[in-house]
Amino acid sequence: MDSTLLSIVLALSMLAILAAGLWVSLSLLAIAILGLYLSGNDQIGLLFATSSWGASTSWSLTALPMFIWMGEILFRTKLSEDLFKGLSPWLGGVPGKLLHVNILSCGIFAAVSGSSAATAATIGRMTLPELKAQGYSDRMAVGTLAGSGTLGLLIPPSIILIVYGVAAEVSIARLFIAGALPGLLLVTLFMGYTAVWALLNKDELPADQGSRISLAEKLYSLKKLVPIVGLILFVLGSIYGGFTTPTEAAALGVFGALILALVTGSLSRESFKESLLGAVRSSCMIGLILVAAHFLTLSMGFLGIPRELAQWIGSMSLDTFELLLYLTVLFVILGCFLDGISVVVLTVAVVLPLIQQANIDLIWFGIYIVLVVELSQITPPVGFNLFVIQSLTGKDILYVARAAIPFFMLILLAIILISWFPQIVTYLPQTMSRG
Amino acid sequence: MKLLRERFYLASGYLAGLCIVLIMLIILAQIVGRMLGFIIPSAEDFSGYCLAAATFFGLAYTFRSGGHIRVTLLVHHLPPAVSKILELVVLLLALLLTTFMTYYTFHLVWESYIFEEVSYGYIPIPIWIPQVPLGLGALSLNLAVLDDLIALLRGRETSYKQHEDELNLEEV
Repeated sequence: MDSTLLSIVLALSMLAILAAGLWVSLSLLAIAILGLYLSGNDQIGLLFATSSWGASTSWSLTALPMFIWMGEILFRTKLSEDLFKGLSPWLGGVPGKLLHVNILSCGIFAAVSGSSAATAATIGRMTLPELKAQGYSDRMAVGTLAGSGTLGLLIPPSIILIVYGVAAEVSIARLFIAGALPGLLLVTLFMGYTAVWALLNKDELPADQGSRISLAEKLYSLKKLVPIVGLILFVLGSIYGGFTTPTEAAALGVFGALILALVTGSLSRESFKESLLGAVRSSCMIGLILVAAHFLTLSMGFLGIPRELAQWIGSMSLDTFELLLYLTVLFVILGCFLDGISVVVLTVAVVLPLIQQANIDLIWFGIYIVLVVELSQITPPVGFNLFVIQSLTGKDILYVARAAIPFFMLILLAIILISWFPQIVTYLPQTMSRG
Repeated sequence: MKLLRERFYLASGYLAGLCIVLIMLIILAQIVGRMLGFIIPSAEDFSGYCLAAATFFGLAYTFRSGGHIRVTLLVHHLPPAVSKILELVVLLLALLLTTFMTYYTFHLVWESYIFEEVSYGYIPIPIWIPQVPLGLGALSLNLAVLDDLIALLRGRETSYKQHEDELNLEEV
């Protein structure tokens, strides 16, 4: 079969079975089989078995269940409450006050959980009722949560970066470190916007009660933040300093999280079992997707589709900017229907040769793709964060999406900034001890 | 009978969980070993095997608890009669694919056994042993899909669907 026709047949079949509701992992498997079958390969089953074995035993992938489990343990502690109580006294003087608690708690929680839906759900459950009770604008409360909930994807340790690193064969340690500055950039943009908004819309905020919080109280509240911030610095610091690989840092992180839960009294037999089963569910789901995606990559390689696509795009002589623009549009559209991890594994198989051909740094591209996926998390109809916040607040999804629009624009701005100044991404990884 | 099956699925989930705990212990042992100056032989290999076991043992449990993601936009918005037929087609396709997985993962175990393949690492072990969980896990997923196909044909609600609907409420 002609390979253009073949690509079209495969792409359409993929869309059809995904839309019909076949599980994403099985859909990838089906398309890989179909592709090999149509190209007349007679070793399909054997190829599947050996590629699955290789993909599921990869050493760098062992970081995945570790970080997921760590998040599941901390998710069941009083972490979100501690963050709220520890941060609020400090933000009383900033325009927008408690709205910033939303952003910073999300940022910190993201650094331990790696999942944006979990971040939005955990922090939102704590902060939204409080913000409402104190008379903050609903729209801003929801918007800040939707926007900063997506930080979970970028701020290391991020699950989606592990997935990208494994799929694209890039150092996960470097990816993590590369995500740190763009993550801070986003937090700064979100907080800056919120402060400006607060100055312009004083009527939508609760009146200043004029009560000053003493420094002693402020310092005392810090105590609540110490364990969690310590754990984050320990995990990231040991990766950055080159003392441990990401996998080792993850195992230490789980250990630290268990101790933290034990000390704060939120570790019971029941919560331990639940956290473990929660980790099984997430890591097994992602694991099977990766196994299938690995097989799909293999199948696409046999068919030569990525190579031809790269040649075709190459013949159009797009410059880097145009290429990225088209890819952004493609990813945002895909992200409207699929979750972030599926978008990454699906496209990496096909798009990576293009990126290499255009001389784009693969670490930089990883951060870029995550930012674009963050965008798609807050675009309807299938923005996952929108669903979470919808069920938290009972507001309909379009309201949540509208509230999130400013933050959508800010993430877009961050994408433009890292394209303009790629050093934001590449500076830290270049100064790392080893990867 | 139903209870027994539920127990089997839950047990497979815990088995996967155990593998995750093992990964942590192996890696921690490796770190401690490095500090004290001894080496845990083949630690990377063994944690890789545990990872494969964790992924595959967990398949059935994850499937039944609605953990494997899919696009439900269409299924949830079609008239019930049409959506049931679509669901049936999807499950049949899933049965076909998981049977393929089961057959070939066991085939892999069989070939490694026949050709007496051993791992390259510091401790050479027959490679078929850590490959067995792949086959067993694929088989359990295979059974779980069949289970739900039968449930749907008998007019009951599928296991994953119950959880897909409650997913948002549970998480929040």
